[in-house]
Amino acid sequence: MKPMANIDILPMACVGLILVLAMMVLAPMIMTHTQTPVDVPRAHTAETKTEENLTITYTEDSRLFVNDVEILPEQLTDVIYQELEKDPYQLVVIRADKNVFHRDVLEILANVKKCGAKRIACATKNPKSE
Amino acid sequence: MRKRRRLRFDHHSQGLILNSLVDIALSLVLGFIVAIPLFFESGIFVNTPGVAKAGATQVSDIKVNIYLLDDGGILLNEELVTYERLEELLPELLARSVARKVIISTEPDVRYERVVHVLDLAKQNGAGELALLRSRR
Repeated sequence: MKPMANIDILPMACVGLILVLAMMVLAPMIMTHTQTPVDVPRAHTAETKTEENLTITYTEDSRLFVNDVEILPEQLTDVIYQELEKDPYQLVVIRADKNVFHRDVLEILANVKKCGAKRIACATKNPKSE
Repeated sequence: MRKRRRLRFDHHSQGLILNSLVDIALSLVLGFIVAIPLFFESGIFVNTPGVAKAGATQVSDIKVNIYLLDDGGILLNEELVTYERLEELLPELLARSVARKVIISTEPDVRYERVVHVLDLAKQNGAGELALLRSRR
């Protein structure tokens, strides 16, 4: 009698699971732009939204980054305008260092609003993650 | 008889037992699902109402206006309060408000962290909408 040939699916399941893990770790990293180190303020009530967004980072030494690319402050409006032209409902995340002046953050917020942003959020960190 | 038993044993030792590996991988997936939100940043949604666009509509809703001073003081509806008192008063005011809108404005040299603390406090106490007011130059 001929032996029955069967496929061993366990290694395949393992590879599938590893792929799922890799995707889960990489997807938020690709979609969000948080490579520029900034000490964002802590907040308990913040909501997490992992979606493609436009991230404006403002560091303690007053440097400005849009999606982790450094720009000059006078270029901000043009860059945001170009990005928001594609989708005005794109989420704009402002990652400002906790030690910067609020008036500077407001200036950025006002520029973002002027460019037609519909959804704006201030990035925060969950105190539990420390 | 003895030979047959040995043969059976050899047959069993050939394959790798992958069940435990799958279990570990599944546990890791679960662990990642739970842990990932803790590692990534979250955010507070804010609004910046345009001063020029503000209409003159009459509303009789309870206002929650917070003004942060440079010296650490807080004005709640133009009354000086401490942070602890603000924590007590905010839920009471927001419970009576229909729109549950909190408007926050600051003096020029207030640190961003303080504003986020107040935004967080307002959210914790049931604020529906948060607005950051900017004075016109």
